Amino acid sequence: MLFSKLNRRVLVTAVSAVSMASVVLAGCGGVKTTSTGGKGDYPTGNIQMSVGASPGGSTDLITRAIAEGLGKELGVSVPVVNKPGANGALNAKELQAAKPDGYKIAVQNASLFTITPLAVSAKEVVKLDDFDLLGGISQDDYVLIAPVGSGYKTIADLKKAGKNVKYGTTGVGTGAQLASALTFKQAGIPATDVPFDGGAPALTALLGSQVDVATIQVGDSIEQIKAKKVVPLAVFSAERIKFLPDVPTAKEQGYDVVVSQYRFLTAPKGTPDDVRTKLADAAKKTYATDAYKKFNDAHCLTPIEVSPDEVRKILDGYATKYKAQLDQFGISLAAKK
Amino acid sequence: MGGLIDGFGVVLEPANLLYCLIGVVIGMLIGVLPGLGPAATIAILLPITYGVEPVSAIIMLAGIFYGAQYGGTITSVLLRLPGEASSVVTVFDGYALAKQGRAGTALGIAAIGSFIGGTVSIIGLTLLAPVVAGVALDFGPPEYAALSLFGVLLVATVGNGSRLKAVIAAGLGLLLATVGRDTFTGASRFTFDSLNLADGIDFVPIAMGLFGLGEILYNLEERHHKVQAPVAVANAWPSRADLRQSRGAIARGSVIGFVLGVLPGGGATLSSLVAYAVEKRRAKEPERFGRGAVEGVAAPETANNAAATSSFIPLLTLGIPANATMALMFGALLIQGIAPGPQLVSEHPDLFWGVINSMYLGNILLLIMSIPLVGVFVKILKVRPAVLAPITVLITLLGVYTVANQVFDMFLVIVFGVLGYLMKKFGFEPGPLVLAFVLGSVMETAVRQSLLIFGGNPMGFFTRPISGTVLVALIVVLALPGVRLLVRRRKEKERV
Repeated sequence: MLFSKLNRRVLVTAVSAVSMASVVLAGCGGVKTTSTGGKGDYPTGNIQMSVGASPGGSTDLITRAIAEGLGKELGVSVPVVNKPGANGALNAKELQAAKPDGYKIAVQNASLFTITPLAVSAKEVVKLDDFDLLGGISQDDYVLIAPVGSGYKTIADLKKAGKNVKYGTTGVGTGAQLASALTFKQAGIPATDVPFDGGAPALTALLGSQVDVATIQVGDSIEQIKAKKVVPLAVFSAERIKFLPDVPTAKEQGYDVVVSQYRFLTAPKGTPDDVRTKLADAAKKTYATDAYKKFNDAHCLTPIEVSPDEVRKILDGYATKYKAQLDQFGISLAAKK
Repeated sequence: MGGLIDGFGVVLEPANLLYCLIGVVIGMLIGVLPGLGPAATIAILLPITYGVEPVSAIIMLAGIFYGAQYGGTITSVLLRLPGEASSVVTVFDGYALAKQGRAGTALGIAAIGSFIGGTVSIIGLTLLAPVVAGVALDFGPPEYAALSLFGVLLVATVGNGSRLKAVIAAGLGLLLATVGRDTFTGASRFTFDSLNLADGIDFVPIAMGLFGLGEILYNLEERHHKVQAPVAVANAWPSRADLRQSRGAIARGSVIGFVLGVLPGGGATLSSLVAYAVEKRRAKEPERFGRGAVEGVAAPETANNAAATSSFIPLLTLGIPANATMALMFGALLIQGIAPGPQLVSEHPDLFWGVINSMYLGNILLLIMSIPLVGVFVKILKVRPAVLAPITVLITLLGVYTVANQVFDMFLVIVFGVLGYLMKKFGFEPGPLVLAFVLGSVMETAVRQSLLIFGGNPMGFFTRPISGTVLVALIVVLALPGVRLLVRRRKEKERV
């Protein structure tokens, strides 16, 4: 009797220990920090970085690399919390509503402000003006690839083939879709858009020749390019990138298509000046470390670590240009009504 | 072959043995916690791997991944909480066994099946990886469309109650799968302008609500009618008869899991479902299934572990991550300066073979750990429902929150909990709903991608060898009962 009673107590303890463990693990992200300290004290507690995407994607990995550096520079822990949903809009709206005290910041994607608004309803649009910008991070470029057996080497080859080109992209409302649509329209190549959920499934479909070409991020395809399984036809950056120095840009080939993903650091609107400066400085020191530089190279990211004003200029430039080009060529990314 | 032997040398270094052990222990623990999956755990642990040798890091991360598959079974069987889509099928017979006081048998057979399935799959990976990887590339959207249609039709047969009710539940699952932003046009469907629904509903709140919370609510009502006798927890390990009964299921589950696991996206779920359906179809008394058939636990658990292992093939041989967890391992390798791609085997044989061989060892470690742990976990059932139920609800809500860190998901669990309660009360089973929900989104995407590829011509499905064969087989199987009925009627007429 005593034994079974004891056992039961042990068990209840064990079960509550498990639930405690889950609280702790969940809490890793959700620790609330009070910041009552006066000026200059910042930071006195954890700084939470939220990601508007699932673990494992580029935005997530970049956030984690920066969080690591910020933690070391500022001497506090910087937990990363994933809040995936609606291409990052869900996370953006939460950040927008957070207290502007520098304890909640996030890496955000340019596409959310420059491309997504062209594809979704007005209610879902997030505005850049609702955030304080802390600075630019890096550019993630797209490349148009074809299977090695196809014989295609340039965009002109696709045109010569004279058939309807089926192209895979990383999804609707992404830079990959925009870049491909603009290119094929300008080149007058008849083409069908086949959207996939990210780079890996699009690459798989290309390797299996389910689609003729695909536009995906350079980091997702570089190994296949090196292994000569796929051929790069064009990169969509303004100038050639150092990771693929021999691959001409779309612009060089005569098409006015410059599309890339760009990421930058943001805080809720109204974050005090001194806090912003501290965060921006710590980020700059992080970017200067060898570990972070190595990270950029491994993921084929081109650093563009510019000031908040320049970030705004880059984004406004993209947004205006994309909209004008879509209008000019009569392309619609939005739902067909 | 030299690489294979060197690989064992790598694994048997004491440091790597330790990392393997750490990995599988963490994996098993997070598998027990509903919600917190291997992807989130690996993301949290990623910075730790920076300072570790690449081989050791991947050995540990891989251990977390397949260790979680072992752990996930425990909550499915004991608390009716499937943490992942691939263990939904285990709930049917696992929980039924637990209610009969045979939870130990269920967990034991699952551990043995998982071990064998995992090991068979590693042998397959060792010998066939490059060949299988090539076949996986032949699986395009049309093949996925055919396979997921096959899966959805199977769903109707796995239930235990009325066939009609299973079809209705599956239909509801398919409807729920359409919630969210249309991935082809960007249009919002059934989101009611809520950003929380923009990406649709996650699997975890649905499964946790319908199965776990629904069961707890139902039991609350039951207790007013009759006093529940405490479950006698007997024989903590499967008997020889159980083992004999599950032999075939484990063998077939291993092969099914290995083959289907190679397919990225839904491979593991589909394999557990197919393995279960195969056993039910082969059984002499199929009505035992859903009421505590040992094979009903052995088959899906073997298959999902085999699938977890073979899902490494696309990453290691092609450099394509098949799921979120694999994407994180891809990231971990990149940080270490190793780019997973077609050249991985030739450029880093020690890593390739070291990781594969560590899985043999990890599976043995998991089996050894399972034996005493089964005895411990089974005792959870001795806890009075009045104590266990609130704790389960708490763990469920916390677990769901950890998936996307959204309070909204906790409300979703409650909504689906009420739905699960009502379904149980009116004789509907949640299994077909949840499985159809998972396969529905795979099917919709694949069908629409296929139609884009075929230029809108649905006959395109029949022009490709794999999708064509699957579809023709499906049509034949569906038509057979009708044809048989016609033949019988005619014979009866002749007799008259």
